[in-house]
Amino acid sequence: MLVVENLVKNYGELAAVDDVSFEAGAGTVFGLLGPNGAGKSTAINCISGLLTPTAGRIAVNGHDVVKDGKAARASLGIVPQELALYEDLPAIENLRYWGKAYGLRGKALVDRVATVLETIGLADRAKDVPKEFSGGMKRRLNFGCGVVHEPKVLLLDEPTVGVDPQSRAKLFELVEAARAGGACVLYTTHYMEEAERLCDSLAIIDHGRIIAEGTVAELKSQLGARDALQLTGHFPAEATDRAVEALGADIGDLELLSRAEDSLLLTLSNASRHLPGIFAAISNAGGNVTETSLRSPNLETLFLLLTGKELRE
Amino acid sequence: MSFLIASVKKDLARWARDRAAMLIWLGIPFLIGGMITSMMDGGGAGPTATLLITDEDHSFVSGFVAGAYGQEQMADLFLVEQVSAEEGKRRIDDGEASGHLTIPEGFQDALLNETPVTLTLKTNPAQTILPGIIEDVTEVLLDLGFYAQRLFGPEIEAIQGAIEEDGASDAFTAGISVDIQNKFETIGAKLDPLILELEIVEPPPEEPQPDYALLFLPGIILMAVLFSSGSLAADYWVERDKGTLRRLVSAPGALAGFVTGKAVAAAIVMGTVVTVTLVVGFAYHGVAWSKFVPSLLWVTLGGVGLFAWFSALQMLFPNGRVANIVTTVLLFPLMMAGGSFFPFAALPEWIANIGRLAPNGFIVDRMGVELTSATAWAIDAKSWLTAFAITASGLVLSALRLKTGFARR
Repeated sequence: MLVVENLVKNYGELAAVDDVSFEAGAGTVFGLLGPNGAGKSTAINCISGLLTPTAGRIAVNGHDVVKDGKAARASLGIVPQELALYEDLPAIENLRYWGKAYGLRGKALVDRVATVLETIGLADRAKDVPKEFSGGMKRRLNFGCGVVHEPKVLLLDEPTVGVDPQSRAKLFELVEAARAGGACVLYTTHYMEEAERLCDSLAIIDHGRIIAEGTVAELKSQLGARDALQLTGHFPAEATDRAVEALGADIGDLELLSRAEDSLLLTLSNASRHLPGIFAAISNAGGNVTETSLRSPNLETLFLLLTGKELRE
Repeated sequence: MSFLIASVKKDLARWARDRAAMLIWLGIPFLIGGMITSMMDGGGAGPTATLLITDEDHSFVSGFVAGAYGQEQMADLFLVEQVSAEEGKRRIDDGEASGHLTIPEGFQDALLNETPVTLTLKTNPAQTILPGIIEDVTEVLLDLGFYAQRLFGPEIEAIQGAIEEDGASDAFTAGISVDIQNKFETIGAKLDPLILELEIVEPPPEEPQPDYALLFLPGIILMAVLFSSGSLAADYWVERDKGTLRRLVSAPGALAGFVTGKAVAAAIVMGTVVTVTLVVGFAYHGVAWSKFVPSLLWVTLGGVGLFAWFSALQMLFPNGRVANIVTTVLLFPLMMAGGSFFPFAALPEWIANIGRLAPNGFIVDRMGVELTSATAWAIDAKSWLTAFAITASGLVLSALRLKTGFARR
């Protein structure tokens, strides 16, 4: 349904997207995860035809986005991060307008708009203007405008930014409904918990490159049962390395991922049990710990382990 | 077509909520037009000089001089009042008149006897033009009196004598008239030796000349069109910031309908502004209503052309604020050069020729032709085609800019 092969998008010397490939099928949600500036939106813009790729191939529902752009775009629906609504037009007029933009006419348009209004829970506010809506209601209408023409491939670009928990839950239901309806959903986010909840498979992207890809279960398995232990403080270089090496002899799966003068990142199983020994070893090495962060295995931990930095930095 | 109509409705519904802008666009021509009309027309009546005359001679000749200011065309220029010396002095000192002429006692005798005499003309220093006119006319009248004395001295003396005795009898009047007629014929033969062959040509019927304030009308209306087209063009930035353009560009085949729809909506808005201003302008200046439709179509088409090019221009800038500043800064030289502040007829020809090359100047110039021509639909086909081509190219450029990156944030 959605095929991205060796996608490259350069801005001068800067590679915003660098050799990205993935596939997503009908009735699935594919997550594209990464921090701000990782290249997610650039990839989405290439898929939606807003940007011309420097290299690579994108096919939507079998149509090449560059060579057969009109047919490809006819199968696409977009829910942009911003609220792409006409706030002075009633909700129903917004849906009708975007339905017409995608070629819906007559009874098909009327029926489809009515269905979408029901689905997004705004049937009773159809004639009200969005500027009178709450943020969550606007988000739902924004989603409705993206799916009014029943797209085969739906692009969701960080749709839950700035959304309250209740509206977020409603949006999740809408995404799941789209998947159940057979749509291929590409979902970009930097919230790992959203990806874990919604995505059948996902790719983690950083600096324009995919650094991990698979199902949620597959990605978690890369971590095994190890926790991520991040320490902040003062860590003398050679003494700390020797201390960690000595600890490794006692703790079988301890691994030093990164060390700087003021931070230390370790992975190990049952980290909480080994904390006293770790603190003692660092203290003996002449260092000190001012802050400790312990994370159980999840996608966020994986990102930390893969990149050495927080997902939301 | 369905999406085009939806786009038109969408923009009209959005813009209709901005009533303040519409009122400002409408207010501009009325404000400027009102100021110019009040300056140019001044209520429609020409300036009149109030001339106070104190006739201390009470003679036939002094009465003739005093009456001469009220004859034929001079009656439009002078309001003559006979006053006493005291009243005349008081009123001219109070600035209530343009001039005070005193004809001294013995004026007629002096004229007939060719002895020196002094007429006193006191003028109002607060006025600049009208007292000068009084002086010039008085000098001409005195020259005329000198020649009349040379030609008709005896007759004038006889008339004065008859008046002083018991009034002129019919026989006297007939006799003196024949004498004067004979002198005219004698003099006429000397003055008109018919050396020149004269051909009397019937002048062509003059077209009614438009009043000067009418020449401002196209420029004033274009001022409103410029402001409205510039403001409406900024709507592309509004849509871009909302993200609707991004969604639009992702929809297949919707771009042409979107751009055309915006242009049609702009045409309806500007057409409304132009209709109101034209109705008032036509009614006030008495322009033939047969010229209304071509004028409305022409200015509206020009307005859409300006909107299209302003749109394309705005989309070249890095953000909406810069785009708005540049557009606003551009408006004033355009108005200055394009005949909005001064009609082309009032400018030196070389400046007017440059102004006509400005996009708004082109529209103003042709509309001026339409308004001042003898018949309606006076704008030539080439001008219409040029305006269509410019408008279409502006719309195409706008669409291309949308397609090539403007829509994405």
